[in-house]
Amino acid sequence: MKKLVLFLTAIAFLWGYSWAAELEYFRVYKPKEGMTADEVMQVEYFVKYTKFAHDVRMEGKAYFIDKSGSVREKETARMRITLGRKSDDIAYKDIVMFTSPQVKGLATLSWTYLDPKRQQNVWLWVPSLKKIRKISAANADDSFMGADFTNEDILTRRFEDETYTFLRDEKFKGYTCGFDKKTYYQDAPCFVIEAKPKRSPWYYSKRVLWVDKKTGGGIYEEKYDQLGRKFMTLFKSFVIYNVNAKEYPAQVLLEGKDLRTGHSTVITNTDIKFDQGLSEDLFTERALMQSRW
Amino acid sequence: MRKYLLVLILFLLTTLAYAEDKVSFSGSLKNESSIRINNLNGDLTKEKNIVELAGQYKIKDDELVFFGKVKYWYDFAYGARRKLDIAQYYSEHIQRADWLRDLYLDYNRGPWFLRLGKQQVAWGQADGITILDRVNPVDLSEYWLPDMQDIRIPLWMANINYSPKLNSNLQFLFIPDFEQSTSAPIGGPFCTYSYIRYDNWKKAQSSVNENIYFPGKQFKNSTFGLQWSDRVGDLDYTLNFLNGYYYSARNTTIWLGGANYKVDRAFKRYRLYGGSFNKSFTNPGPMQGITLRGDFALYNDEPTYIGDPLIASAKKIDRWDNVFWLIGADRYVFTKWLVSLQYAQYILEHGKDKDPTLTQRQQYPMNAFTYGFADQLENIFSLKVSTTFMNDRLKPEILWSFTDDNQGRVSPKINYEIKDNLVLTVGVHYFYGNLFDSNGQYREENQFYANLKYTF
Repeated sequence: MKKLVLFLTAIAFLWGYSWAAELEYFRVYKPKEGMTADEVMQVEYFVKYTKFAHDVRMEGKAYFIDKSGSVREKETARMRITLGRKSDDIAYKDIVMFTSPQVKGLATLSWTYLDPKRQQNVWLWVPSLKKIRKISAANADDSFMGADFTNEDILTRRFEDETYTFLRDEKFKGYTCGFDKKTYYQDAPCFVIEAKPKRSPWYYSKRVLWVDKKTGGGIYEEKYDQLGRKFMTLFKSFVIYNVNAKEYPAQVLLEGKDLRTGHSTVITNTDIKFDQGLSEDLFTERALMQSRW
Repeated sequence: MRKYLLVLILFLLTTLAYAEDKVSFSGSLKNESSIRINNLNGDLTKEKNIVELAGQYKIKDDELVFFGKVKYWYDFAYGARRKLDIAQYYSEHIQRADWLRDLYLDYNRGPWFLRLGKQQVAWGQADGITILDRVNPVDLSEYWLPDMQDIRIPLWMANINYSPKLNSNLQFLFIPDFEQSTSAPIGGPFCTYSYIRYDNWKKAQSSVNENIYFPGKQFKNSTFGLQWSDRVGDLDYTLNFLNGYYYSARNTTIWLGGANYKVDRAFKRYRLYGGSFNKSFTNPGPMQGITLRGDFALYNDEPTYIGDPLIASAKKIDRWDNVFWLIGADRYVFTKWLVSLQYAQYILEHGKDKDPTLTQRQQYPMNAFTYGFADQLENIFSLKVSTTFMNDRLKPEILWSFTDDNQGRVSPKINYEIKDNLVLTVGVHYFYGNLFDSNGQYREENQFYANLKYTF
């Protein structure tokens, strides 16, 4: 009996370990009752980086809103191909093209690797030079394109970068978006997880996340500084897309607020199309070189 | 006439397609003003208004696309200042040559990508230093201060690309068009010292008969280019070859007796063999976060002035095999601070000519910009630091470029986004060094500038 218990414990541990280590690409995962904090966060990261889809393309608008209410806008067109390819360690490739007049033509190509310790490779098409510049990946704690969230919030933070503690099951109180004044996710069942960075010192001491049980998306998070003061909030709204009989959660709205400056950033994603059969040739330097603006 | 016809065609095409949502436009209005700030004396050197309009027509999705861009500018400073009047004719001439910035047809299918028409092609990894970036001639009427896309003079060409495998590309360029590189006219703030010295010499003669010989419009006078791009591991590299005319004419002066001369300006053919690379260190370790990049070029038969720099007298043109290479490194340090360093060497094949028909003093290679001495080995450095504040609204940057001859340029600037489509740039260009050096020749031309750009 004792041996059986030990055996079952070992199986359970190994199953749990394999869950935490890696989720299989191109499948849809949802959080389940009884999952550990690590398992919930695995799903959250999977949803965040759209690893369930082979590819996605979307139009985006970013609004930069300062304390006085003044708004600046930038438009983008984005594409991602998910590869999860071990032979060359590529997880996915992104291309972001700016389409608003002031920065029209500016485009970035980035390759993200499976190895969580590896930085991205980034190429930039610079219209004023009319050429491609390979650039160093920005620091993880730098602002993402001037927004009120950091590069790692959007692009680079991995499951392995933090340790997680399950805080509670909770119905989310709702979030009223400052941009469209709508209230989202009122009473939505959520897992509340505390995430602490392994890197120390780091620009935040902990994040508290509300993960939506329906989609697995991290819908709201609060970031705290080293003195335990809340200094940044990040809200995300997801919509379920039915693609080939699968339910893909797509991030359609993102609002980040810097509580120190009163500045906020809103990103809206529209015209989202999954699994269009995008070719990997679209994610090369040559594709970037074809920019006309 | 040709200009108006092309604009008309562009207008008709875009109007026809507009209803089908196949057309998109973009443009800008820009004012550039600068004041000379030497000895605390303000002196207007530029009051330039620029209008730019670009349009694209997707004939068949992204497979077949027509693109055009026109630009027109007028610099009021040339009219406002008597001192610069002499430059008025030349400045108008420069505008005539470069008003059409792009006009081409893109065809993109499978491994093929063709861009046919007037365009610019940029090779290499260097910033602000044209080592491989020599496919197009350059307009140096404002030295190397504007953006590179405004410095390059577009050419009519066939740009044919074939990708045999993922992340690789073979580019073939056939350029039947020819334009010479231009520089600032006499009286302009960035007129080269060599031009001033030549003009002074010319005025001192009884007669100077100047002739310029452009390459004839024949197939054999076309420029041909090849670039192979590929990726090995994390390293991107290119191999480059260009066979064409050197875009700057070289003068040959013939004495006709007394104070009468004949100056023949001719363009020489040369070849460029080179390559470039870039690599970002993405794996953990001390190098992580650093991007290295580099260019190398051998200019085979590069026309090089030989003469007496002390009296600015070029005696002959040697065809030397000169080398230009560069290595650069970029890294983000602290938060949002991007530091970019470049080191380059321009190496002449010889330190001095050994022509027995010339005196010792007449055997030196000369700097084409100033007619000063050209070092056999020129060490060039540049350091650029940039960052952003206020959610990318405020972008300060400083560029310091200099050589081992204690000459250089310091250019701090600040970009401020007033509104979505309105950006203000203010900055300073400070030049220092010897009058015979490329930057030092402009040491009296330090300037404060302000640009206001509205985009739509």
